[in-house]
Amino acid sequence: MKTLPLFIFGLAAIAQWAVPLAQIRAHEQTLAQGTLIKLKCAAPDPYDPLRGRFLAVRPEQRDATLPEGMKVERGMHVFATLTTGADGLATITHVSLTPPASGDFIRLKTGYVYDRKATIQWPFDRFYINEKLAPEADKWFAENIRGTKGIIAEVRVLDGHAVLADLSLDGRPFREILKERVK
Amino acid sequence: MNSSHHRWLLEQLPQWERDGLLTTDAARTLRERHTAQQAAADAQPGVAQIIMGSLGALLIGAGLIAVIGYNWDDFSRPMRLLFAFVPLLVTQIASFRVLQRGEAAAAWVRETAALLQALATGACIAIVSQIYNLGGEWPDFLFWWMLLSLPLVWVMRSQAVAIFYLVAIATWSVNQIEHGNPWHDSALIYPVLLLGLLPFWPGWPPKQTLSVSVRWVMTISAIFGLCSAAVFVCETSGLFPRFQFSTAMWLWTLTAAALTLFPLNQTAFEEPTRRKPQVVLGSLWLFGYGLAATFHEVGDDVAGGMKHALHLPWCWGLLAVLAVFVLLALKQRRWAVLSIASIALLPLVAFPFERLLSWVFTLHLAAIGLTLILLDFSGRRGAPRFGALLLSVLIILRMADSHFSLLAKGIGFIIVGVAFLAFNLLMSRRARQPALPSA
Repeated sequence: MKTLPLFIFGLAAIAQWAVPLAQIRAHEQTLAQGTLIKLKCAAPDPYDPLRGRFLAVRPEQRDATLPEGMKVERGMHVFATLTTGADGLATITHVSLTPPASGDFIRLKTGYVYDRKATIQWPFDRFYINEKLAPEADKWFAENIRGTKGIIAEVRVLDGHAVLADLSLDGRPFREILKERVK
Repeated sequence: MNSSHHRWLLEQLPQWERDGLLTTDAARTLRERHTAQQAAADAQPGVAQIIMGSLGALLIGAGLIAVIGYNWDDFSRPMRLLFAFVPLLVTQIASFRVLQRGEAAAAWVRETAALLQALATGACIAIVSQIYNLGGEWPDFLFWWMLLSLPLVWVMRSQAVAIFYLVAIATWSVNQIEHGNPWHDSALIYPVLLLGLLPFWPGWPPKQTLSVSVRWVMTISAIFGLCSAAVFVCETSGLFPRFQFSTAMWLWTLTAAALTLFPLNQTAFEEPTRRKPQVVLGSLWLFGYGLAATFHEVGDDVAGGMKHALHLPWCWGLLAVLAVFVLLALKQRRWAVLSIASIALLPLVAFPFERLLSWVFTLHLAAIGLTLILLDFSGRRGAPRFGALLLSVLIILRMADSHFSLLAKGIGFIIVGVAFLAFNLLMSRRARQPALPSA
């Protein structure tokens, strides 16, 4: 048996484990140790052919003001500092090219840049749900998205890394509400 | 020759011997040679076996992904992660066993194991991204999936995974044409992704020939991938990006010329054209482009597109590749493909006569048509019917373009039609004439 093909196969097999495991490690760490940030969002119900049904999560804040003299191009990675307001919801209050020394921040990509503003691409954009709950989730969304309370995305943030942990309405987890409605 | 060809030849030998067409010694030599070759051909995997194996693997993999898509909310996170990694581990062990068996493993088993492992890899990263609500569109997911599956093409020599990889890199490239993406996240890296298959097809000239199905998929993948890269570079920057169609058209045409002239080893060179999809598809595009450019308005667009394209590094890269391919084709005396590929470079060569470009195209295509006919009449390898077809289409286009009355156009079309049929008849009679014995 030739050694080289086996060696390459071994490397490939390790990579096939390493890529998902690295994702798991980063996300588990963020979920366990990250700060909880709440973002008001919009969320319709589309479908991914490979990963099933999900709610498309779109935080209301779509752009951020760039500091004076900061040169940013589309597709660049920047660090956005998140500050929680009196209503308990977080917004981006500062953008920098390097990680800020303090505070909670997320590494995200910029979209179109105009004047002194840049549209932002949040590092999370979907919340996967059970196929059975999806139609009910759609109805729930339609009923609540325009309400004053709005749907809240609960995001754990750690060292620039963000994990969408849950969606909630009026402090109650989204799945809990849906399961009650489906009964 | 495949197994049935050898079998047919062996069945004919006794009759040819009886008829005195072959001596006993010659018949024995042929019998020995073709019996051995038939045995070797029989040992090769059946296409049906490979297709059935791949189909089975595909169904299992698709089923696995669909089961994941359901989203098993009721299970804990570690349990769901177990669902992701167990199929991957099982398929990795199966592939390892196949690799251990080496040449003794049947080809369909190797194909099935490789495809199952590739699908289990996709399922694994899908379930992880589902559990952690990872962002990103499906092309991002596809990118990692195809990269993690690529080594299986090299070590398992799997055609099914190679086809999956080729389809995936083309699909990914088509999705990355949006202007504003950084170059390393755009269709511009398609050539690098394609080169990733080189260990599957090692050496220069390549030692192993690719199956016709892989060749077709590779050609179509290259067309989509390289044309996506051309689209990506043809968008102007600014607040309102604009796609420059005529520039892209010329870049696509240079791509078609490069495909047509893609270097071949002697064995591939001698194969029939239908087994060379890059020549078939490249030539079709070049003739379509050439015929369109015989119209005055299109000719002007072609000249404009070329001028703009010359400012793009991608264009110079294509021209450099084309120059190398032209030199190699000249060395191999591939006159027919060289003449067809010359259509792409016509706007560049005829640049001083920019206003007359449509006429230059007409004359050039007419010259190619005549050459293809005359080559055959002078006893060389030509394509007389195709040459006649090209001339007929040119005449019809010019007639349609002209200000002649409908009656004159109608009569013209009839004359061209009759001449074409007469030429076809002449060629059929010529083909039926027995060849003169050589001196």
